[in-house]
Amino acid sequence: MGRKSLLVSPELCIGCRGCQTACKEWNQLPGSKTENRGSFENPPELTATTFNRVRYVEVASSSGDPRWLFVSQRCMHCGDAACMNICPSTGAINRTADGAITVDKTKCIECKLCASACPFGTPKFDAQNKLSKCGMCADRTASGLPPACAKTCPTGALRYGEREELIALAKKAGYAKIYGENDLGGLGTLYAFRDEPKLYGMDEKPAMPESLIFWQNVLKPLSYLGLGGALALSLVHLVAVGPKKDEPKNDEPKKDEEVNKNG
Amino acid sequence: MADQKNARVIRKANAFEILNHWVMAISFFTLSATGFAYLFHIAGVVSFFGGPMGMKTVHNYAGLVFAASLILTIFSYLIEALSFSGDDMKWLMKGGGYLSRNAAVPPQGKLNAGQKLVYLMVLAAGAAIAVSGLYLWLAPEVKSRTLSMHFLHNAAFDVYLMIVPFHIYLASIASPGSLRIMINGTVPLEWARKRHAKWAARMT
Repeated sequence: MGRKSLLVSPELCIGCRGCQTACKEWNQLPGSKTENRGSFENPPELTATTFNRVRYVEVASSSGDPRWLFVSQRCMHCGDAACMNICPSTGAINRTADGAITVDKTKCIECKLCASACPFGTPKFDAQNKLSKCGMCADRTASGLPPACAKTCPTGALRYGEREELIALAKKAGYAKIYGENDLGGLGTLYAFRDEPKLYGMDEKPAMPESLIFWQNVLKPLSYLGLGGALALSLVHLVAVGPKKDEPKNDEPKKDEEVNKNG
Repeated sequence: MADQKNARVIRKANAFEILNHWVMAISFFTLSATGFAYLFHIAGVVSFFGGPMGMKTVHNYAGLVFAASLILTIFSYLIEALSFSGDDMKWLMKGGGYLSRNAAVPPQGKLNAGQKLVYLMVLAAGAAIAVSGLYLWLAPEVKSRTLSMHFLHNAAFDVYLMIVPFHIYLASIASPGSLRIMINGTVPLEWARKRHAKWAARMT
């Protein structure tokens, strides 16, 4: 069994937000008061109790009629996940056999580094300051069930399955570029876009922060290489040159008598 | 009278300096052990320090102790470390006499040139690690600075990991007679005249 993914097809989405409701139900998350911001979109971003949401994008089209793009948004479940790389706590952020990124809140140390590292702004924190985000319904997928959002989607805008099969399916349906096919080690949330990702409110080229890459490839290994190197050089010196031997024969004084006080 | 001369000692570190040195050493080792556990997810170390949140508490408060200790070192060593002379330069060019068995080096003050350099590095990297650590602890909200502070914290840690082993080795096995400075604070006068001639001359 290979890696599994979610394929989001905004062209098929009718913006019913059944996925948002199903997610809250399965994950037992409380509802939050909605607010009219001039759009049906609510809430305006992911929260600690909103693991997925539908982004509403209205664009003018050549025919003159406005075009509504509904983009279902959640954790991207990156193949090379910045949150997981930077997380200092053992076992707080984990990857399932299917490739989903899950959180063990009991091991989260509330440092929030994941939020600074994530290129998508996914990590949110609950009232206890613990990381709270989509885990691709790992408790469902472990039993062979699709995530709640995909299960409830009435139009096929959300499909869950083998990653390679979903990519092949989307390409066959005429989507030339699958968003997330190769970025960040391949995303676990794929998008079948007709137009530029920008139009759907997505980064053209999502990437790991440069400083995080340098930290991971240089600073992190340098900690043990530097320590090991310093110890090894000391040992080489000890063997090759040895300690200074300019001590007087009887260097241990018989009686410690200070000749001068130094304050 | 030769015997009596050998028996004479001279104080190189006072009680405060010795105590502060060990406070810093112990907090440094605690911070390094927990730091390595953070970097490489060493489950055994996490359990030893009482689980994820327990280890965070230990790491943060040991950091406070370390920072306080670092500030106190300023009063002991900074002025001396900044007084860099021509002899210090020559001492460094000769590798402090550590590169061969019988090298002669220029006379040194209370701290030799190597010790001065190490102290300045410890102070600079320590300041960086303390400031970035405090930031990560107290202001972890999503800000562009968090990543650079995390970067700085790790870079400064790497500097420590590369200088502390040399410091420990050079101040113990490689230079017999040094270790007692951090135990009872005194050195034999003869030893001081060989290693820190300018200082010994000033003190006698």
